[in-house]
Amino acid sequence: MARSPWFLGDRVFWHAPDSDEIGYFGMPGSRQGGPVRLYWELGWLGFRSVAAYRTAAISGAITNTFFGFLRAYVFIALFQTRADVNGYSLSDTLTFAFVTQGLAAFVALWSWWTIAETVQTGQVTTDLSRPYDYQLAWLAQDYGRAVYQLGMRTVPPIVVGMIAFGITLPTDPLRWLALVPSMVLAVAISFGWRFGLNLTAFWLTDHRGIASVGLLAGFLFSGFLVPLAMWPDGLRELVTLLPFAGMVAIPIDIFLGKITGADLLAAYGLQAFWAVALLVGSRLMFNAALRKLVIQGG
Amino acid sequence: MLARLHGHGEMYLRLVAAQVSAQLQYRVSFLLQSFGQFVATFIDLVTILLIFNRFPSLAGWTLPEVMFLYGVGTLAFGFSDLLCGGFDSLSRMIKTGTFDRVLTRPAGTFIQVLASDLQIRRVGRIAQGVLALGLAISWLDVTWTPPKVLVLLLALLSGTIIFSSIWVIGAAITFWTVETSEVTNVFTYGGAELVSYPMPIYADGIRRFFTFIVPLAFVSYLPALYILDLPDPLGLPPILQVASPVVAMMFLLAARGAWELGVRHYQGTGS
Repeated sequence: MARSPWFLGDRVFWHAPDSDEIGYFGMPGSRQGGPVRLYWELGWLGFRSVAAYRTAAISGAITNTFFGFLRAYVFIALFQTRADVNGYSLSDTLTFAFVTQGLAAFVALWSWWTIAETVQTGQVTTDLSRPYDYQLAWLAQDYGRAVYQLGMRTVPPIVVGMIAFGITLPTDPLRWLALVPSMVLAVAISFGWRFGLNLTAFWLTDHRGIASVGLLAGFLFSGFLVPLAMWPDGLRELVTLLPFAGMVAIPIDIFLGKITGADLLAAYGLQAFWAVALLVGSRLMFNAALRKLVIQGG
Repeated sequence: MLARLHGHGEMYLRLVAAQVSAQLQYRVSFLLQSFGQFVATFIDLVTILLIFNRFPSLAGWTLPEVMFLYGVGTLAFGFSDLLCGGFDSLSRMIKTGTFDRVLTRPAGTFIQVLASDLQIRRVGRIAQGVLALGLAISWLDVTWTPPKVLVLLLALLSGTIIFSSIWVIGAAITFWTVETSEVTNVFTYGGAELVSYPMPIYADGIRRFFTFIVPLAFVSYLPALYILDLPDPLGLPPILQVASPVVAMMFLLAARGAWELGVRHYQGTGS
């Protein structure tokens, strides 16, 4: 007999789904493979659920690329007045313009209210009764989503930027390798932040007010719009320490070769610290939300 | 003609008043969402401040001058965004069959769709435009003559019409594609970004396209040259600096034409 997952306690009546019905979920530790398999499948599910909207991905990539052009022209005009800002040359900044546009969908910087919507529609009750860890399940799906966006939304603006503005990619394979942990952590930070913001829907009937301000704050401080190197001194050091720099600014600086050697370890450390802090923080919030949750109906 | 327009205006106001009072029932929600919109656009303003913190000018334009472009562009886009929500949600109307109901009513489709979705939270963006334009005007040293005031007011009106026409054309395309073409975003949100900076920074092809085909240069850049007495490195005829209303009306007519064509093509999505 299946037992309620630990995080549900005895609040929700839980009926174990037929493994035939949702075959690929399997049960943690069941014959269909352990939890690793379960979260792998959830990641694949996340991948497929964005892949279903291919037209949206293509038009999104077009919009990102267009914005890349606009930002590139602004920077070209600006750099006629000086050659360098804190180590950022025009060529770095043009690369920055297109790579950030590409990363926006990867770290889901704009709006992402998938979980809040399940709270509003009541779908969340079904999700809570499933035999998986709610937060990890969403995290796995988010990684699936990110992998899809990497192909469909990140690559096209960068390729167009290479053709139109001659931006160059790192040639050192080690730099590409150094990018991997940073990108993985970037998604975790972004997810932790979005998960927490989405959970506000348990308390507020309308999440789009306060929570969207939170999302926008993340957007602003991520260093997406203007390289953090160009921010005013003093403010820049502060913003660099916030979690949001780990979503865009740090991966970009690794891409551009501005963070190398021992600094890499410090950068990973900062990203990992915030990823853990946000995931744990939002998990505590989730537990509080469950204590508050009253499921209506019989 | 006038009586007909008057009738339209009255019907529009009635339909819209009903929605506004409905949305105001949830006052806290309304305030929070407007605040969210305000902050969303605030990010664009912060971007401008950040870049001028490091660079003295942009293609010869100073911070107050760029802020002026941004303020005019944001206000015009904000008004169009407030007015044209119905066109943005046309895709949903087509898919759910609500548009069929529109066709059976004894009123024009254009006015009905126009009045179908007015989200007052979008005043958040307008508030942002007011702030930016207010800042710019207080920083700038412009001698405000009556013609300059008139050109500014007409620029805001024309800009609203130009952006609204883009929403209408985007919606008209939906009659063929059913799904909202997100490429419309390039011209709406992307357009709002484009008009926040002086046109000479863009490549020739882009600049010509957004002057002569989709006339976004008439939203803020050309009127700003007149109001701020700035030289035009592009050497366009000076008369164009005050031609925004004429261009806006022409573009609106084109949008109306696209709309009529779309409605005629509409066949419904089936049972």
